[in-house]
Amino acid sequence: MNQREHNCDVYNNNLLSARQIVDKAKEGIRRGIIKKTNLVWLEATGCSGNIISLLDGSNPDYTYLVTDMVNLMYENSLMVQEGINAVSQLEKVIDTDFILAVEGAVATENNGLYNILGRWKGKPLTALEAVRMLGEKAVHVIAVGACATHGGPSAARPNPSRSVSVQSVLKRKVINLPGCPCHPDWFMGTLAHILMYGEPELDSRGRPILFYGVLIHDICPRRSFFDKGIFAKKLGEETCMFKLGCRGPVTKTDCPKRQWNQYVNWPIKDNTPCIGCAQFGFPDKMEPFISYNTTRQEKDNV
Amino acid sequence: MQNPESIRKQIDNLMVEINCYIDFLYISPYVYTRNLLLNQLRDRITMLNYLMNSIESQAQVPGINPASLGLNQTNQRTFTAEELAKYNGKDGNPAYLAVNGVVYDVTNNAAWAAATHFGLTAGKDLTKEFASCHAGQQQILSKLKTVGRLV
Repeated sequence: MNQREHNCDVYNNNLLSARQIVDKAKEGIRRGIIKKTNLVWLEATGCSGNIISLLDGSNPDYTYLVTDMVNLMYENSLMVQEGINAVSQLEKVIDTDFILAVEGAVATENNGLYNILGRWKGKPLTALEAVRMLGEKAVHVIAVGACATHGGPSAARPNPSRSVSVQSVLKRKVINLPGCPCHPDWFMGTLAHILMYGEPELDSRGRPILFYGVLIHDICPRRSFFDKGIFAKKLGEETCMFKLGCRGPVTKTDCPKRQWNQYVNWPIKDNTPCIGCAQFGFPDKMEPFISYNTTRQEKDNV
Repeated sequence: MQNPESIRKQIDNLMVEINCYIDFLYISPYVYTRNLLLNQLRDRITMLNYLMNSIESQAQVPGINPASLGLNQTNQRTFTAEELAKYNGKDGNPAYLAVNGVVYDVTNNAAWAAATHFGLTAGKDLTKEFASCHAGQQQILSKLKTVGRLV
């Protein structure tokens, strides 16, 4: 079933929410109402999955982001400069108006020595120092992905690097965009909202309600199976995967509408349960991701 | 929440919300939106029921109060901790858990997929865990089916 064939305006508008804000921001930039802002993207303790996810964005794409929306001053995987030249970009930006995006958790063990971004004034610059230094001066701080928002896989047991969220090391408001990875639209939409209107409305955990306002379970295309008690016994069955351990009922995102990989699919449509990657506490508190030994009385002759 | 006056005020607010949801239901064309609204409606009605009970029984609303948790049913089953441990949601068993001496059935509770919830497993006394995350959210418990008492 193609999600975009529905006739409900609310539903369709939600799907297009990121694109609409970005379009407005584009128009604002074209007419010179909005000026391009500096963006610094730090990769702390994580897998770089969020910047890779952002490269997959299409509304707008990465090229538009870096050419028309912002001046991307620092992003270690994508910038041309390296070594001292790269870090000197941070020195340049620190006294300007800039937005700080951080992906990855902040390692705190041994004063953050588990994660060194580069050398700053002759000394190793840890992610902990960089996040504190830039985070206190940035106009907005956006924590992108599971690790940055709550520790995520980087802080999973036994967490030898004592990784924590960006918010835990900063005494200021942080916009949290959880997800493993963060959907490109969630970041682009939040950034465009900041450029156009300022900070978007956030919930009690710092997540933009625009993208994180509804439980997956409440808008799941398989919700009617749950309501009728029709549950999948194994992967591949196109019914409710609640008994297998689906975390849709405790995870707030718009995945069922927005979908992934340029809006073609998402886990439940592909017959795998939601693993709650955008819920605080992922992955430890969302386990088990799949369970076959459940409340169901199995009748087969295994 | 402490005195009857503030409870009545909350009830008034809930009634406004409930009426608002009903108005929305009339105009929402899409089944998911309607389900969402119905869920909200159910939540508000449960809260309303709870508040009205608490006025009647003059019970304290905040905190965990076993007296207001549906224990007015008689002849309820009793569970020892060992018995409760069997109802862990595995091997086809239902998923039960205890909070403040009351045993609840969470087998088909959406937040308890595969009989687990934020790293917790069924078949245990989860009073402390409930208090640490859901203090004052009595309506969560009042929605659950009670199956007995933990002794």
